[in-house]
Amino acid sequence: MLLKTKKLMKAFGGLKAINKVDFELPKNEIRGIIGPNGSGKSTFFNLVSGVYDPDPGSYIEFDGHDITNEPPHKVGELGLARTFQLLRLYQDMSVINNVMSGYHTLVPYKFIDAVIGRKKIWDQEKVIKEEMMELLSFVGLADYAEMNASELSGGQRRLLVLARAIAGKPKLLMLDEPAAGLSPVNVDNLMKILMRLKEKYGLTLIIIEHILKVVMDTCSKVTVLDHGEKIAEGTPSQIKDDNAVIEAYLGKKMDDEEMRKALAV
Amino acid sequence: MEKFKDIIRQYPFLGFIIAFFILMAIPSIFFTDLYQSHLSSLIFINIIVAAGLNIVKGYCGQVTVGHVGLYAVGSYTAGCMFMYLGASLWITLPVAILVTGLFGVAFAIPSFRLEGPYLALATLGGGEAIRLFIENGEFFGSTYGISSISQPELFGITFDTPDKYYYISMPIMLIAIYFSFSVLRSSIGRAFMAVREDPISAAASGINVKKHKMLAFILSAMFAGAAGAVYAHLPPGYIHPNNYTVIEMVTFLAMVVFGGLGHIWGGIIGAVIITIVYDLTRPLYEYQLFIFGLTIVLTILFMPKGIGGFIDKYFIDRRFKKKQGVASK
Ligand SMILES: Nc1ncnc2c1ncn2[C@@H]1O[C@H](COP(=O)(O)OP(=O)(O)OP(=O)(O)O)[C@@H](O)[C@H]1O
Ligand SMILES: [Mg+2]
Repeated sequence: MLLKTKKLMKAFGGLKAINKVDFELPKNEIRGIIGPNGSGKSTFFNLVSGVYDPDPGSYIEFDGHDITNEPPHKVGELGLARTFQLLRLYQDMSVINNVMSGYHTLVPYKFIDAVIGRKKIWDQEKVIKEEMMELLSFVGLADYAEMNASELSGGQRRLLVLARAIAGKPKLLMLDEPAAGLSPVNVDNLMKILMRLKEKYGLTLIIIEHILKVVMDTCSKVTVLDHGEKIAEGTPSQIKDDNAVIEAYLGKKMDDEEMRKALAV
Repeated sequence: MEKFKDIIRQYPFLGFIIAFFILMAIPSIFFTDLYQSHLSSLIFINIIVAAGLNIVKGYCGQVTVGHVGLYAVGSYTAGCMFMYLGASLWITLPVAILVTGLFGVAFAIPSFRLEGPYLALATLGGGEAIRLFIENGEFFGSTYGISSISQPELFGITFDTPDKYYYISMPIMLIAIYFSFSVLRSSIGRAFMAVREDPISAAASGINVKKHKMLAFILSAMFAGAAGAVYAHLPPGYIHPNNYTVIEMVTFLAMVVFGGLGHIWGGIIGAVIITIVYDLTRPLYEYQLFIFGLTIVLTILFMPKGIGGFIDKYFIDRRFKKKQGVASK
């Protein structure tokens, strides 16, 4: 298993944002996570990536390492990359620098070489930049490389955080609502790029997404959260027919036709 | 011209060697009295401080208002080593850099938990505490200051007058800028900026936020320490606690803010301009805090990117035009 959680728990005051979640993800899978607003999806990401400390009794394992109490940069170093629901791009940095800082853990030269300004680091920087420019052209942002990230459009920003997360060649990429706020055409475009990136870099993916069509089309398996608990897990078609899921989403049972409509949003 | 630029880019220190020779020639061509040399040394010293402040504040985004305290540590390390051991600049400079770097560690620790105005208050307290400690310490010459600090010798020359000391302060300034360029143009500078822009996503990219804050504080403290030592030995070699007050702190901040936070060249130009204005307004001592405070406020309000913003805009516009030119051909 690439990622494994056991009895993962996080309470904010009395609110159990994540409640005893067991989760397993093998390599090369594309997993979807769905659930109503406030069901704990982003909290799950924050726990796994080390942004939040899990409550005692929890266990998280990534690529054979116990990362339960590791700080986020350690988790990042191990090859787990993520994007944020609120993007968190580096507004006041150029597009290329945004992506290049995602490459941080792979930079080959040492601190002391940078301080004394050895020539070899400038050669290595050049190589890194070329590689990152290639990644930028892959997501279609090469023409904006020298622009400030704050000057990009909403859709371009989503592509940029995607590129930044991939820049460090992660083993696992976790995307928190990558398509939120995009027009249908842009959603398609983003998904195409994502699938090509998965092929190219051999990524394993977890996608939180409200646009159920995206999840249903791209994910091989879906995990459903509600009130911090895992209420269902299975293939998209199994999930569609799961009574607990239907209730969580709509509070009542529906016939097939209604269900199909609801999930096609 | 393009070829020349490429060579400079390949061998960055070449540019500094050229700058060195130009600056070597300037006094004999332009300077008419000793005071101009003296002022130049002050400018060089302030450039070193500004370059350091730019690392921690401009690049790493950590608000520090205690930097003048670190500058004082550099000066007094040098001053005391001279007073008690008779050490020359060649010894006091590296020691001052190391000692001030250690003080930088102490200044970094609050930044792990505090941000913005709270961090500013903590560092302000640190800076003032250092000054008060010096002022009340017999060991440091208390309110008498330390005087007649020696000037360095090299190749049988004693650099004991302002016109000679120019040739000490200038190369040290160039070396300092060279180091700041090397660090800031590497992955470390990028990591500093990422920490400034968003520590949470920086950490997600595997950047150790605490480590980089610490590094930024230590590096910038080392710059302040170097500047402080060069200032202590500046003829006539006199230091006094009054040279390290909030007014000096505000002028340091004015340099980097007016020059453009996070812009290496802007900070240098800011240091030149503010030092000259500071010198011209010396007779208006009681208004200086007001003048430079106002400069900071107006800069932040009306040109938040400072002079560096204009420089960038000029180059980006030019590059853009060039691109368009190529496209239309
Ligand atoms: N830092 C925090 N402090 C307090 N409560 C929090 C915190 N983070 C999340 N919560 C709470 O935990 C619950 C789950 O939030 P989370 O952001 O994980 O939901 P989500 O499934 O991502 O929702 P959405 O679909 O709206 O993004 C919510 O009730 C939220 O208010
Ligand atoms: Mg969320």
